[in-house]
Amino acid sequence: MNKPRTDEDQALVSRTQAGDAAAFDELVVKYTPRLYGLVYNMTSNHEDTNDLLQDVFSKAYKAIRGFRGKSSFYTWIHSIAVNMTLNFLKKRGRRFQLSLDDVDASVQNDKEFLEATATSSPVREADLSELQRRLNEAMMKLSDEHRAVVTMFHIQGMPHAEISKILRVSEGTVRSRLFYANRQLQSYLDEFRKNPVA
Amino acid sequence: MDEFEDKEIAKLLRLKRYEQPPPGYFENFLHEFHRRQRDELLCQPLWRICLDRVHDFMFRLNLSTLTSSPVAAAAVLICAAVISLKIYQTPGPARVATEDRQVFTGPANADVEWTLASPVTTRVFSTRPLHNSDETARTQRAATLPRYVLDSVPVSYETTFKF
Repeated sequence: MNKPRTDEDQALVSRTQAGDAAAFDELVVKYTPRLYGLVYNMTSNHEDTNDLLQDVFSKAYKAIRGFRGKSSFYTWIHSIAVNMTLNFLKKRGRRFQLSLDDVDASVQNDKEFLEATATSSPVREADLSELQRRLNEAMMKLSDEHRAVVTMFHIQGMPHAEISKILRVSEGTVRSRLFYANRQLQSYLDEFRKNPVA
Repeated sequence: MDEFEDKEIAKLLRLKRYEQPPPGYFENFLHEFHRRQRDELLCQPLWRICLDRVHDFMFRLNLSTLTSSPVAAAAVLICAAVISLKIYQTPGPARVATEDRQVFTGPANADVEWTLASPVTTRVFSTRPLHNSDETARTQRAATLPRYVLDSVPVSYETTFKF
């Protein structure tokens, strides 16, 4: 995923700081889909994601006057979202309901998705669907911090440096978390490969 | 190799980008955000609204020294502390007077202490603090006998008829 232009964001941030609420609305519209993906893949629940996103933007609006531009708005708003989600997950504990099964209709036009599914037989399609389900389950078995890194790197397509800024950890820590999370996901999915249909 | 490779995992995870909310969710999100903001405003206490207004005013004035809220809060607290010290600082004699003030106490047992004297003469004043008032009243009663004063001259102790 491409990073939005920071100079555009800076202009909107300055306008918001000057009291222009419409400028903040533009930031909300711009960042909602991106942050939705981040929070949704960390919580695996639509309702929780919705509530968290509302809280994230509400907190950002209250705190934006204190935003001095030391980091980009992109990094800043992602930091708020990740920290609030991690706090939420700590409070929620293990009580959650998976709702990660809504694949958008636009996926039909995606090259990657077509590659993965077009040549497949019905059996393979069933396997793929099962594999996705297993993948979601495997994701939820990761710790919150590891899931955050996997979400940002693999799903959101962020570089290591950006993730390290958002999480305020070193790039080495990001790489090591990613390595560990990949090994865990591999072992979970390997069981499925050996026994495709339970 | 039987195991899933990193690339394969990455490819599968990328498919999760397509897990989307219900249609129209993003269009309604902003309206929902505005509604929640209005609700929050209505629930805020008056002092919070005033504080926000003052904060806005300060920010718009662009007072570089006071834009930082911790500095402003510290300044306000110091001013408040100084003012409160000035106001509540009172001279010494007044304090003594409050401690040793005379306390009016009525008779310990009003039903028993009936007297025929005028109310002014029977009042008992104690110069001690309130917590000793019962004791004072008791010692005074023991030292002096109750006085009975008649307002009018008795009819006479002499015989009225002389023969």
